[in-house]
Amino acid sequence: MPDKDTNKSGKQGEDEMTVVVPPPKNKQSSAQPTNDADGDIAMGDDTKAGEAEAQVDPVAQTISDIKSNFALLDRAVALFDARFSLRALRSISSIRKRLTADILAQVISETFSASSPNTQIAEHLLLAVDRPDVTLGGQPSSEMEIDSGSKSPAKNGGKKEAKEVIPEIDIFLGILAQVHLYDTKQFQRGFALSRFLSERIQSLNRRTLDSLSAKVYFYFSLFAEQLAPLPPSPQSPIVSIRSILLAALRTAVLRKDIDTQASVIVLLLRNYLLTSHISQADLLVQHTQFPENAANNQVARFLYYLGRVRAIQLRYTEAHEHLTAATRKAPSSACALGFSQTATKLLLVVELLMGDIPDRAIFRVLTMEATLHPYFLLVRAVRVGNLEDFETTIAEHEDTFRRDGTYSLILRLRQNVIKTGIRMMSLSYSRISLRDICIRLHLGSEESAEYIVAKAIRDGVIEATLDRERGFMKSKEVGDVYATSEPAEAFHDRIRACLALHDESVKAMRFPMNQHRLELKNAQEARERERDLAKEIQEGDLDEDDLGGDFEGI
Amino acid sequence: MAERQLTQILTQLQTSASSLSYTDSSALLSKAKLLLLQLNALTPTAPGSASNPSLFSLARQVYEQGALASIRAKNPDAFLRYVSQLQGFYELEGTVGTGAAGGRIAGADANREEKNKVTGLYLLLLLTQGQYAEFHSELEALSTRLGGATRELEADRYLGYPIKLERWLMEGSYDRVWKAMKKGEVPCEEYGVFSEILTFQIRSEIASSSERAYPSLPISSTKSLLFLESEGEVVEFARSRGWVLKDGHIYFPSAEPAAEEAEQEKPFSQLVIENALGYARELETIV
Repeated sequence: MPDKDTNKSGKQGEDEMTVVVPPPKNKQSSAQPTNDADGDIAMGDDTKAGEAEAQVDPVAQTISDIKSNFALLDRAVALFDARFSLRALRSISSIRKRLTADILAQVISETFSASSPNTQIAEHLLLAVDRPDVTLGGQPSSEMEIDSGSKSPAKNGGKKEAKEVIPEIDIFLGILAQVHLYDTKQFQRGFALSRFLSERIQSLNRRTLDSLSAKVYFYFSLFAEQLAPLPPSPQSPIVSIRSILLAALRTAVLRKDIDTQASVIVLLLRNYLLTSHISQADLLVQHTQFPENAANNQVARFLYYLGRVRAIQLRYTEAHEHLTAATRKAPSSACALGFSQTATKLLLVVELLMGDIPDRAIFRVLTMEATLHPYFLLVRAVRVGNLEDFETTIAEHEDTFRRDGTYSLILRLRQNVIKTGIRMMSLSYSRISLRDICIRLHLGSEESAEYIVAKAIRDGVIEATLDRERGFMKSKEVGDVYATSEPAEAFHDRIRACLALHDESVKAMRFPMNQHRLELKNAQEARERERDLAKEIQEGDLDEDDLGGDFEGI
Repeated sequence: MAERQLTQILTQLQTSASSLSYTDSSALLSKAKLLLLQLNALTPTAPGSASNPSLFSLARQVYEQGALASIRAKNPDAFLRYVSQLQGFYELEGTVGTGAAGGRIAGADANREEKNKVTGLYLLLLLTQGQYAEFHSELEALSTRLGGATRELEADRYLGYPIKLERWLMEGSYDRVWKAMKKGEVPCEEYGVFSEILTFQIRSEIASSSERAYPSLPISSTKSLLFLESEGEVVEFARSRGWVLKDGHIYFPSAEPAAEEAEQEKPFSQLVIENALGYARELETIV
């Protein structure tokens, strides 16, 4: 911890001091590979220091926060461990709120020295944040020296002249610039910057860049979506970035770059769906393989889009499978609430289309209740089989359904409502005339009713027979479900799901690298000891006392 | 020069569309396509570089005429080829429309009619071929392109027709489908081509549901049920499906499903054993 800083916030007292003091050792050694535990401690202290400094100068604090990520990126490159870059990316969300063009410009000018060959990149970044006149290689200003000045000699300052700025850092700064431009709604500028960044990524071939480049493409496509003309129109810029994304996908597959692969596939799917190019999206899914161990969030997104495609293609069973998985994989925290709401809405409609009635409990979840209300009304109408209610619900909430993109799917529900109505009728009456069915379900004519009922019988919706001469429907006795194989099948499905869950959680466990070598070594030693022991026993000059002593020695 | 020639061929195609035989019209069409190639307008170009918007619409009209001609000749493959060529034009249409804005609004309306006609035919073709997934994908794309105005789609004479048919087919209101195909409900003559296929389709649908739904049917009422002309046709149809005719009633062979069930019985117990063994193995790996 910087000394001057603790002087400034002297009020914090001695106790605080003792907590704060240790880090410098870590900081100084952080250029060398340190083990994971040390890294974690360093992180914790940084945030603690952040609280103390926040009262002092938020600008300087933000700058030092950004710079602390450089150390992480450095370490990611040195250790070849993507976890450090992921941690740097995760800190973006906390930096995001405090980011301004000036802060970015200052960081850029301090990071790049005027003589380095990468000045062109720095200039590009500065141009993007609208501060083209800031000179590079700027020394930390006097005010800065208080905070980052004491920090940079420790980790950045010393090697700034000696070492080149690694590409990870400039891409990271690029992402920060993207985030800033997106938050301040400068979409055109962001789009240009993203194009530049993606070109630069294409020219570099560094595995440590993977997770960063995935983020760059993500913002690239976000910018494209915001530019006029907006998506549904075929002239939208998102159509033009498809070739760039496809190229990125190709490269990522060749380089086995899982992060970029996963996020670009998801972006492309989203892209196609925005312009309703369903068959193209379907082809994309058919011809690519989504990486198995992609990040959880990407998997959730992928499953959602896939479910959507399948739902439009009337492959409801598959759609249901994907969407259930998507809702389960969605992060449970509040920040991803929008995603789980959207996925749940689609899932509800698909469930209805499959002829299932969704669980009422879904509608009672506090965070979902309000948004799902129109769907609740819909489910109620379908459950009762009331065509009139169904149609009024659609008419009333048409705009909501349209906005959610479920409207055309909901229109397909009409036949399900009729089927449910027929089923209700077949359950409650043992014999009912076709005329009554026609009146109760508000069907056009008696003939229509006859055809519809016949179709329902063939599709296995109801168990009944029709009598054409006398014009009625006669229900058969309902068979005992437990006499069929259905319960066994349901049981089997559940057991399989549990086993799959167990398998997945075993696979998800992480083990420290090279730990097994240590164990092997221990095992080897133990075996050798055993052999010695055996030898000694064979030689015969060993009694109980000796044995005990030996074990104590070990 | 070539453009004028092209316009001539096009007017010839448009005015005498129904009287031309398929060979004649395809000869004209290939001539038109050659001319387009000379003018470098065979494929839609990006709106910015499009040298001539009138050429763009000419090319489109040639393809549209080609599509209609191949439908009249009952050649679905050729029709699908024309439709996929047209897709590119429809995608870019918006920009060209704005590029040549102003006095061409009336022309744009006529364009839309032809476009809807071809798209509607395409939908109908998908429907009769049972490609429901493609049908709905196309529908979804259409409604997004119109800014989500599904009602507008349904109100359209050409597009609404296949949409309504699909809904009735799904519901099972076959009588409405039947009515829609008769009584001059069909929006234009090209749509009539599909009526025959559709009739056959719904008849076999009705037949397969009747097999399950009725224990027996009197022949006289089967005539109206299956939309057949005479009782003789009913008898013929019943024979082709293997139904048994006895004292003026049709009886459906129902022994088959029972036999199937009996066959399924055996693997069921096997399945249970397999599952139980599977669980045991999995449990062993866990413990």
